[in-house]
Amino acid sequence: MPITVLQPQPAAKRQAAAMSVDSDSDSDSGGGAEVHGEDILTPGTVITSNSQWMRGHGTYVQPGETAITSSLAGTLTKTNKLLSVRPLRARYTPEIGDLVVGRIVEVQAKRWRVDVAASQLAILQISAINLPGGILRKRTETDELQIRSFFAEGDLVVAEVQQLHQDGAASLHTRSLKYGKLRNGVFVSVSGIGGGSGVVRAKRQVWTMDVANAGGKVDVLLGVNGYIWISKHIESDTNAEAVGINRMEESVSSKVYSSQNDPLELSTMREIARIRSVILALVENRLKVDEDMVTKGYSEAVELGRESPDDDLYLGGEKGQRLAAALTGH
Amino acid sequence: MADRRRVNGPGGITVPPIYEAEDLPLPDRSRQPNGIRAQYLKTGVTPSASGSAYLEIEPQNGSVSKGMKLTCTVHGPRSLPRSAPFSPHMVLSTHVKFAPFATRQRRGYLRDSSERDLSTHLETALRGALIADRWPKSGVDVIVTIIEGDQARQVAVEQGIEEWDMMNVLGGCITVAAAALADAGIDCVDTVSGGVAALVPGKDGEEPVMVLDPVPSEHEEILAACCVAYLPSRDEITNLWLKGSLSSDANLQRMLIARAVHASKGSSQAVAASLTEAALAG
Amino acid sequence: MASQQILFSPAELAYLHRSLSLKPPIRPDGRAPTQFRPLTAETGILPGTNGSARVHFSDGTEAIVGVKAEIEKTIEAPRAEESKPESNEAASERTRGDWLELAVEIPGQRDDEASTVFLSEMLREALLADKEFAKKLFINRRFHWRLYLDVLLISPPLSYPLPLLSLTTHLALLATRLPRLKSEGDEDPMFDDDWEASTFLYPQEGTATNGSRPPITLLVVAIGDNVIFDPAKEELAVAETALAVSVAEVRRAQKAGDMEVDSKGRELSLLSIRTIDPPSRLTPPGVPHTSNTGSSAFAPTKLQKAGDQETEGVWKAPLGGTKFGVLDGIIQAVLEKGGVADEVLDGLEGVELS
Repeated sequence: MPITVLQPQPAAKRQAAAMSVDSDSDSDSGGGAEVHGEDILTPGTVITSNSQWMRGHGTYVQPGETAITSSLAGTLTKTNKLLSVRPLRARYTPEIGDLVVGRIVEVQAKRWRVDVAASQLAILQISAINLPGGILRKRTETDELQIRSFFAEGDLVVAEVQQLHQDGAASLHTRSLKYGKLRNGVFVSVSGIGGGSGVVRAKRQVWTMDVANAGGKVDVLLGVNGYIWISKHIESDTNAEAVGINRMEESVSSKVYSSQNDPLELSTMREIARIRSVILALVENRLKVDEDMVTKGYSEAVELGRESPDDDLYLGGEKGQRLAAALTGH
Repeated sequence: MADRRRVNGPGGITVPPIYEAEDLPLPDRSRQPNGIRAQYLKTGVTPSASGSAYLEIEPQNGSVSKGMKLTCTVHGPRSLPRSAPFSPHMVLSTHVKFAPFATRQRRGYLRDSSERDLSTHLETALRGALIADRWPKSGVDVIVTIIEGDQARQVAVEQGIEEWDMMNVLGGCITVAAAALADAGIDCVDTVSGGVAALVPGKDGEEPVMVLDPVPSEHEEILAACCVAYLPSRDEITNLWLKGSLSSDANLQRMLIARAVHASKGSSQAVAASLTEAALAG
Repeated sequence: MASQQILFSPAELAYLHRSLSLKPPIRPDGRAPTQFRPLTAETGILPGTNGSARVHFSDGTEAIVGVKAEIEKTIEAPRAEESKPESNEAASERTRGDWLELAVEIPGQRDDEASTVFLSEMLREALLADKEFAKKLFINRRFHWRLYLDVLLISPPLSYPLPLLSLTTHLALLATRLPRLKSEGDEDPMFDDDWEASTFLYPQEGTATNGSRPPITLLVVAIGDNVIFDPAKEELAVAETALAVSVAEVRRAQKAGDMEVDSKGRELSLLSIRTIDPPSRLTPPGVPHTSNTGSSAFAPTKLQKAGDQETEGVWKAPLGGTKFGVLDGIIQAVLEKGGVADEVLDGLEGVELS
């Protein structure tokens, strides 16, 4: 049916909390905070007055008092003696070392401003990128005049957060062969979700997977900020792998800053579209997005695809729910 | 909206004086269904602008319409203001305005919704012809003023034919703007020209007839009309505006669009002739 | 809406264009070319209006339409003294398009901006194109209904809002009711207080069903040789042509004793077509491998000539217009019996009118 018109669903009722909330308790049951599990704290709820707890993100202490109060709407997390409140929905906050995918929104005199779905635009200095020609290449004025030949407005880059400024803005760098301009693929954005779903920080944010139906290899890049890039895997020159670290930047070729796609096969494009649908289905059904879930979800999706005669790729709505059920059942 | 920058005429609607009923001629079209009215086009009429053009469409003798006069000025390419974001293409902005005395009912100085609608159509029509990526970080302004609209003494609104008038006006705007762009020396892939065709009821209950370059007051009723912006050398259409009630019979729309293309071929010849003349003279 | 700034990288655009030009096209979310995204729709949500509807697309955009009607005195046009009184049918011919007032509000834009005006003009002309609409608002020679159609886009415009607004308007008009007239002739109108007795603007059964139904406007794009319906924002950004086609169903009342008409597909009438300026014309061009300047210290002087063949894999904004064959293909795809327009109307008919 080309068009499905649905009735609006009533808001799902949250399961009543199994335990009652004792928000302020001085009982000595181990000195622990009495708020449990799935209960949501709201701004202003006192968590505990016990002074052995330290306060973390999402809490504050009124001056002149010792009680730790929540300042966000979210769930409580305890790490050793640290109490913090994890919000239900939050913007990404950059941390040093994060691998992020960003989109250039502004080109300024010697730097670019990059949208990384954080509260502020991140900065990418021209001194923080690899200029083709090698490490000994001097940055000249001509480079600044032709700044758009490296990155222009709208380009997608994968970079690492190098440092954080006082106001929370991040500074990025692409000083490695695995960072740089992105091409040969599609972009998906799953930002704005907190509390356990969406992209989680994991050991491996980038991996290559083998796809079904003779699609070859596909790279999946999960940016910690919720921006994801799925592309065809291009074999890099073996020479580049072989050189030592001193000569790495000399092998940065002129291809790095081009936006020309390599030829792509139909089967690869289909599988890329399938992975994209899998990720969106995971997000829609509130599951976390990491390498494990995506790989499992993908193999489920290939199975689901076999059910229809022409290998239907669409995973919205009902099919997505079946996929999620199959994954959580595992 | 109160306009405090100018000394305005009386607020509210000015009702046109009511004359004694005269014998209004019956709607009658003296041209062939395939005939378009003669056009006079001259470029370079406004020396201070980068490019300009003037188009006059003659009235038919004995018909109630009074012809149409349009002028267009093009300013640019000129650099965008510093505050504007970087644009890899030329930024086109179009403005279409009726002069207050152009139509039977006086229009104010502020643009109303039909003029903004025409501006959007014109922008779509011209954008297809421009080679915009030759001029990054610059903008071009196209301003079309309609000095005399096509309206007859009858209050056109009452007849409900004012909306069909807009199609004719759009056709003229497209032609004159394309000529002005060429006069300004802005790279285009082709000269756009506008043409209008309409479906009117046949005489004495016969099959509906397709006519080119319709003047609404010459017909009792217009069933459907189509205005097309056409690129003659590339055989492509940059803007299509079709309105009316057509059955889903495939041939009817095809015919209507094809006739409108035919009408615009006629206007494009007028544009080409006048541009060559200007080149030879100047 | 070509004036809005869209940000896509040229590499993404080249990939999308290639993927959508294949036969069959691979859409980013895997839909079929004629498949619409699921939407939720309901009517009768605003009790203070004569009719209302709300539609929510799955990409998060939402629109609400409210219809209100007021009595207005019909202005007699100045005519020469004619002694013969007009018959009622002739009087009903003198209806006017400006008895309908349509206002579109898009958050973040002024209501006199060109793009908003374009949208409202398109919705208006689709409603008035067959000249039947104003007849429904006729009460008697001295009074008529003035209908105020207020279209509100609730969410910020992520993609071109036309199909959303048009579907919501369609449902709101179907759900609109006018109070039942109790007076007769040309006297001051008196209406029945009982809302249950009110009549639908577009009646469901009876002889009054002769005539058309409210229109829907579909946004269709063409990329390469493919015709794609319900384009998402990415698909619109690589489209070479975008067309807004308004169609309506024509219903004929069946006389008693008529044979059951073969009801496969509806009779559709085409009301209006407008080209939309595709945002693809404002996209930045891609940089091919060879002319990349990074490796040398001096500026490249060879600009890619416009009109050159597109280098494989490098994006370039489309130039020129559309061939007539492509436009024709789009229109046929919309209008064919049992085609997309038919199925959209089918889906909408399933919505309960409260």
